[in-house]
Formats: sequence, C-alpha cells, structure tokens
Amino acid sequence: MDAEQKKQHLLDFLQTIQRPDYPHEGIDEGSSLVESGLIDSLALLEIVMYLEQTHRIDFAERGIDPGDLRSVRSILDLIARESQT
Amino acid sequence: MIASVLVRAYRQIAQFHENERLIAWLSAQRWVAWLTPERRKLVLFVGAIVAGLIGTFQRYDARRGTRVAPEWLVAGSAFIILLAIVYSLYLVAVYFKRLPPIIRGRPQLCFHLLFWLLLLAIWSAPENSGLWWPIVSAVALSFPYLIWRCGYMLLSGQRGTAAGTGFRDHLFYIWPVWDGTNTPPGKGHDNLSRSVAQTPEAYARVFMGGIKLLLLVALWTFVMQLIGALIYSDPKSPLTPLFRAHSFGLPRLKQFIASGAALPLPVIWISLYLELIWEALYIAAKGHVWIGVLRLYGFNVFRNTYKPLLAETVVEFWNRYYYYFKELMMEFFFLPTYARHFRSHATLRIIVAVFAAAFVGNMYYHLLQAKEPLVAADWHKLWSLLGARFVYCFVLATGIAISMLRQQRRRGKPGMAAVLRSGGFHRLRRIACVWTFFAVINFWNVLANLTLSERARLFLSLFGL
Repeated sequence: MDAEQKKQHLLDFLQTIQRPDYPHEGIDEGSSLVESGLIDSLALLEIVMYLEQTHRIDFAERGIDPGDLRSVRSILDLIARESQT
Repeated sequence: MIASVLVRAYRQIAQFHENERLIAWLSAQRWVAWLTPERRKLVLFVGAIVAGLIGTFQRYDARRGTRVAPEWLVAGSAFIILLAIVYSLYLVAVYFKRLPPIIRGRPQLCFHLLFWLLLLAIWSAPENSGLWWPIVSAVALSFPYLIWRCGYMLLSGQRGTAAGTGFRDHLFYIWPVWDGTNTPPGKGHDNLSRSVAQTPEAYARVFMGGIKLLLLVALWTFVMQLIGALIYSDPKSPLTPLFRAHSFGLPRLKQFIASGAALPLPVIWISLYLELIWEALYIAAKGHVWIGVLRLYGFNVFRNTYKPLLAETVVEFWNRYYYYFKELMMEFFFLPTYARHFRSHATLRIIVAVFAAAFVGNMYYHLLQAKEPLVAADWHKLWSLLGARFVYCFVLATGIAISMLRQQRRRGKPGMAAVLRSGGFHRLRRIACVWTFFAVINFWNVLANLTLSERARLFLSLFGL
C-alpha cells in the first residue's frame, strides 16, 4: 500500500468504529479523535488491534503511546515510522 | 419567549470564558504578552523548588515521634537526596537509548524496585541506627508523591520525547505549585508540552478557562456546605446554624458504617446515593483547583472531573469521575498489559488489562499512598486501610470489564445510534444503574475501623439480609 492507500484504509476503518451518534462528515486529519467526539476512548484499543493486524506493528516491543493514536495524522506518522524500521 | 431569553442569558454567563471581547481585552494586556511560555515555565521551575522543599518538610513532619536529629537537617537532607534522584531520573529519560537493555525493557519496574529496596533497607535497620535512618525514611515518605510523576518522565524517555528537553521542562510537574495528590493532574511532559498556549491570545483563552474552573470551585464548595447544613447538620459547614431547624440530620455513610447503627433501609440507601453526590462534588472541587491553576499557567488540559453523574455506563463514569487517576491506571497498567498479553484473544485481553489497571494497579497505588504504615512496616494498619479496598477494586474491575465488553459489542451494530440517542426514561434508567453501581461499591471504599466480616454483614443488611 502506498501512503494514500494507507490513509484511505485507515479512514475506512475509523468509520467502522466511530460513535454511532457522530455526524457522518469528513474526518479532519489533525484533530484529536477522542476530543472531537469521533470515537470513544475504548475505541483506541480497536485502533491498536487494527495497527497490529493490518500494519504488523508490534506494540509489545515499543509500548502503546496514546499520543501516537491521537489523530489521523499521528496514526499515519506512526505507520510511516514503523514501516521504515 | 422569556424562556429563550433566560436560556441565552444563562449561556452567556456560563460561557463567559469564551467571550471574544473579553479574550481580546485580556490578550492585549502587557502582562499577558510578557508571560511567554518560557517565562511561565521559569516561574513554575522556581515554584517547584519551593514546593518540593515545603512538601518534604510537611511529609517528614508526620513522623515527629521518630525524630533523632533536628527537623531542618533531616528534611533538608532528604530534599537534596530527592532532588538528586529526580535529576538522575531526568538523565535516564534524556539518554534513554543508552541504557542497558534490561532497564530499557522495563524502566518503570526498575524504578519501583528502587523504592522497594529503599523500604527493605528501612525495615531491616533498627530505628536508632543513626542519622541516616530518619533521612532515608523522609525520602521514602516523599517517594509515593514523586513516583508516578517521575514515571511520566520515564515514559517520555521511553517514547523518545525527552531527548533534547531541559530539567526545567520536567521539574515543574514533579513538584507542582498546584500540589495535588499522588496522581499528577495534567500527566507529564508529553501531555503538558502538547497543551501549552503559545500566543498571548491562546494564553488569554486558556487563562479564562482557568478562571471559570476556579469560580466553579467556589460554587461546588457552596453546594457542599449547603448539603452539609441541610442534609447532615455538619458542624463544619458555616451554613449549619442557619438551617439547624430544617436539617434532615442524616448520618454520613462513614458514620453509619463506623457505628453500624440500625437505621431504616430507605435512609441507608438515601445516604449511599448522597455520599456518591458528595464525593463527586468534592473530587470536582479539588480537581478544578489543580486544573484551574494549570490553566492559569497556560496549559490547556482536560478537566479532572466532567459531569460524572450524567454518565450512562460504568466505564464512562470512571473516565469522567477522576480522569487523571484513570489515565494513570491506563498508562502504567492497562496499556502495557494490553500491548503484551493475550494478543490473540480479544475478550481475554481486555479483561486481563482491565484487572491489571482497576484491580492490581488501583490496589498498588493505594498501598503506596498508605506511606506511613508502609514505611513503618505496620502490616496491621495497612490491612485495616486496604482490606475493604480489595473488595472495592475487585468489584470495580469486574464492573468496568463488563461495561467495556458490552460497549465494544454494541459498537457498529445497526440501530445502536437510535439507542444511544434515546433520551427520557431510557437515559434516566442508564444513569440510575450507574449511580447504583458506584453508590453500592463505595460502601467498600469508605474508611472505617471494621473487620472485613463485620463490614460484609453490614453490607448484606443493605439488602435486608
């Protein structure tokens, strides 16, 4: 997957876990996913599972930093960083 | 018509901190422009030294009975040792990548091990073994206050965000001028550096948010005094003389548990629910002070307490009631467990991680909080403080795990949007269930000089058994 495909894949995934009562609008890349109300804090765990399964990121090794899962941009940065290592 | 005018007026008053004209006026003030993020940090750094010194003296003061040397010598020496420990940990965080792999792999565990070694040294030495004993005891008594704050600093090291930072970037949240409990409000460097207001306009906005929280403190304190006077005839409430003739004179939950008095069941249940409201107001008032002061210094961080009594699930209540305690449990217990164990069993993975945080982590946090019996190795006192909490934490963890799993199963199901939006009776029912859960388990959280079996008997009496 190239960067654009990764982003689209992530956005598609986020739509499957977003709060059902959240208005179905475009997701702003920079804004906080939890603070904006798009997802609840529990959904962060599903993002972890998504990253483990889809992008083979090993959190056991690096630990989970909630800051990395804060926004679409920070998740994409994490994916980019991990794919380089 | 009148209603809409009143609603608009209420909103204007309640949201005064977002008034653009007020913010523009404030951001034009010279002192706001002068207080740049760097200057504010310098003020906090100097404040941290003073707060650390005062805090070390106060914690040592609690152990007057064991004093074998002048207080200034013991507490002063303890402060210097603590400062050296904090600085060493800062160097560990900054040069994290250079550490031996065994420490890099489990930095928090190694740090806590250091504390337990210190305790072992204190327990194994006789009390009159010279000047070092009270000094090391004073260090150990201050450790629980620093352990989670330094833990956040180590987390920054682990995540690579501490590299290139100065000691000044960390010390201010380790000995904060806003004080607080062993739980660090605002968390550590990573969260605080992300939330700092950079421009005079942003600072003015955050500052106004701080003022609003401090005004809310005054409001909640007044409401607590009113409840104290009207419901409990609390002699500590200044309003009690005004309402003495009209007070219900109900006992606080801790009075009921301590005395085991035979009260009518409805009164006991009312007392349980009122205790929950009281605790929510108390924790909100305390947390608003810490976060209010943080905001006055330009850190736009989340509130510690945000409308917990409107939570519709157990996990939501836990998130809203004492946010920074929950975050501490998440970062130091939940996430590491979740990242490492049972990765191929989604349900078991959540259950184990929740128990690691809400049960094991919660118990461990309160074990460290009971610093005086811990340092004195007074196991009887420790058990009397923590025995009932053991039950509390176990039931809390069970409730959170069930709530999280239920929420996870609901997510993405068609029709759930309508369920979540459903207000009125359904919403009230969900809120009532959450209130009941926390009001009931709070019975095990209230300190009282009772054995576990005595408390269990009293607990069963709540259900007429």
